[in-house]
Amino acid sequence: MALGSICGLQTMTKLNSSLRENCNLLNSQDSAFVNEAIYGSENFVTPRDIDILSNQKNLTDKDSNVKIHFDHGTTTLAFKFKHGVIVAVDSRATAGPYIASQTVKKVIEINPYLLGTMAGGAADCSFWERHLAKECRLHELRNKERISVAAASKLLANTVYNYKGMGLSMGTMIVGWDKKGPGLYYVDSDGERMKNNMFSVGSGSTYAYGVLDSGYKWNLSVEEAYDLGKRAIYHATHRDAYSGGVVNLYHMKESGWIKVSQTDVKELHYQYQEEKSRRR
Amino acid sequence: MSILDYNGAAIMAMKGKDCVAIAADRRFGVQAQTVSMDFDKIFEMGPHLYIGLPGLATDVQTVSQRLNFRLKMYELRENRKIKPKTFMSMVSNLLYERRFGPYFVEPVIAGLDPKTFQPFIASMDLIGCPMITDDFVVSGTCSEQMYGMCESLWEPNLEPEDLFETISQALMNAFDRDAVSGWGAVVYIIEKDKVTKRLLKTRMD
Amino acid sequence: MDSQMNELYGNNGPKQVHFSPYAFNGGTVLAVAGEDFAVVASDTRLSEGFSIHSRDTPKTYKLSDKTVLGSCGFHGDVLTLTKVIGARLKMFEHSHNKKMSTSSIAAMLSTMLYYKRFFPYYVYNIIGGIDDEGKGCVYSFDPVGSYEREAYRAGGSASSMLQPLLDNQIGFKNQEGATVVPLSKEKAVALVKDVFISAAERDIYTGDAIIVQVVTKDGVKTEQFPLRKD
Repeated sequence: MALGSICGLQTMTKLNSSLRENCNLLNSQDSAFVNEAIYGSENFVTPRDIDILSNQKNLTDKDSNVKIHFDHGTTTLAFKFKHGVIVAVDSRATAGPYIASQTVKKVIEINPYLLGTMAGGAADCSFWERHLAKECRLHELRNKERISVAAASKLLANTVYNYKGMGLSMGTMIVGWDKKGPGLYYVDSDGERMKNNMFSVGSGSTYAYGVLDSGYKWNLSVEEAYDLGKRAIYHATHRDAYSGGVVNLYHMKESGWIKVSQTDVKELHYQYQEEKSRRR
Repeated sequence: MSILDYNGAAIMAMKGKDCVAIAADRRFGVQAQTVSMDFDKIFEMGPHLYIGLPGLATDVQTVSQRLNFRLKMYELRENRKIKPKTFMSMVSNLLYERRFGPYFVEPVIAGLDPKTFQPFIASMDLIGCPMITDDFVVSGTCSEQMYGMCESLWEPNLEPEDLFETISQALMNAFDRDAVSGWGAVVYIIEKDKVTKRLLKTRMD
Repeated sequence: MDSQMNELYGNNGPKQVHFSPYAFNGGTVLAVAGEDFAVVASDTRLSEGFSIHSRDTPKTYKLSDKTVLGSCGFHGDVLTLTKVIGARLKMFEHSHNKKMSTSSIAAMLSTMLYYKRFFPYYVYNIIGGIDDEGKGCVYSFDPVGSYEREAYRAGGSASSMLQPLLDNQIGFKNQEGATVVPLSKEKAVALVKDVFISAAERDIYTGDAIIVQVVTKDGVKTEQFPLRKD
């Protein structure tokens, strides 16, 4: 049992209240290590007497020889317009300068009327949005009606707020359609939650905003809106090193979301390049 | 982040049958931001002699200019073309002069001997420790990826056209797994009686 | 100030003791999915810093007749993790009277990793196997449980050397106009061997031997090949 106690594979007692519910409260030092580990594999585990943040900092430090590379996500955008909400994202995951994947699904399909986007820690986003999906389904079963976008986004914001200061990293947009019509909220791991007609999140967001602002109108046609979303993501992938891969495009309508397209930005680049030369 | 990775670059050179190739990406960026996509990192140092300078962009340009100057002085004094190996010593010497405040470049040299046309490739660390090899050399922010590609794709005695295909594939697939290099590529195939420069069509993200 | 310290604490002054619960033991794993098979391979070297602990420690773990896990990073965490997965699979089998499918194992592993989000397993995992439709599948994970289904993936110390080559040879990346031919089992195994030989040339944490596990509907076949030992 020496390793178990050295690693402090037990819950810190001074955790805030809601985390304590999720965490395993083991106090018997003698319980079998594997039993602890199995229990821990179904519940949150936090080390005792190790400061989570500094422990994590050691692991993500430049010079550390045990550096853990967490996959990080990058450019995402969503905007409301006359015919619903457009969601467009890139698909690159980087671990430092290394491109870990070019095929990440950064739009998380929560249910047929709710979408979430992924920026920041990939694991944080997918886990907590999956958790949100569960909560939304429970809401439906309990209340015999779909959850509103406002409520769903608040559920997520409140959940991650309970973990504030513990190093979660996520910047997400919750997009949906409810009784009030189209909904679009921004939620992040600091506990921020806000509503607007247009958001872009991630390291390429400034480039995406530039394109979005210059082409955005409420009265955009559906095709124009698709093109704007694609262009904004393309330009972000072009200038931002940490964005790239393919553009995944979704459209939220009254009847729920549809996946519009998946386009490799290599093709988009040469297509736009040709358009430019034809205009000249 | 190391200052060597500040601007991002990927350069490699390969030996073939009576020819050498040197290739580089074209990105000039400031960390995550891509500023231009037509940045030169390979410099002509003679009819059959090229040097690739990956590293801090400001030092890339300074070093190339200072080398140009020293090379011209050498050729005026000696009244003959420089041999690749001699040029390598010149680069090494220039870099070691700044042993305690180095230029942040890790050069790659490729060329043919001006008399015998023997292929030659070499690389160097930022303070001028040279390394001459018989197969390939790589340098830049995605050197691991480039080693992986070259180690499997390269074979001895490649003809110029095959060498072009090999080095292009090796470079492109390597920098496609690196966030801070890419955005176009340039390949020089150096043969006895001609040098071919080609620009590659690559992913632009 | 120094003399005061010396008086207080003896000649050595105050001492700070560090404890690191992690180490990096190297190793490379690789998985490739084909139409009706999957190949999972790893080297067998276990090292730390400049020393080699073992030349015969495979990093592939057979989880069922349809699923093989490749796992490397900190070997202590690998041992714990594989042990717990084994226990969870048995628990599942006893309560549901069937084996867990590859996609379910992947989903379970993801949550297991995430439940250690605040004290992570320092482990890179890749699962290869046969899915519910009988097709080959590969799932790759980051240490805290972000996962994705892919056609091929290299993980561990030489992953950055292998991955671009797989992109090129299996994903046909940067090959314009190339006809995409489906990957045969023989070509997959040959390719896996080739890339490991290349990795062993340049990565000091990869070498000694390679274990190749081929998963088909008929079960798992294991082959072993030597790599350079220096």
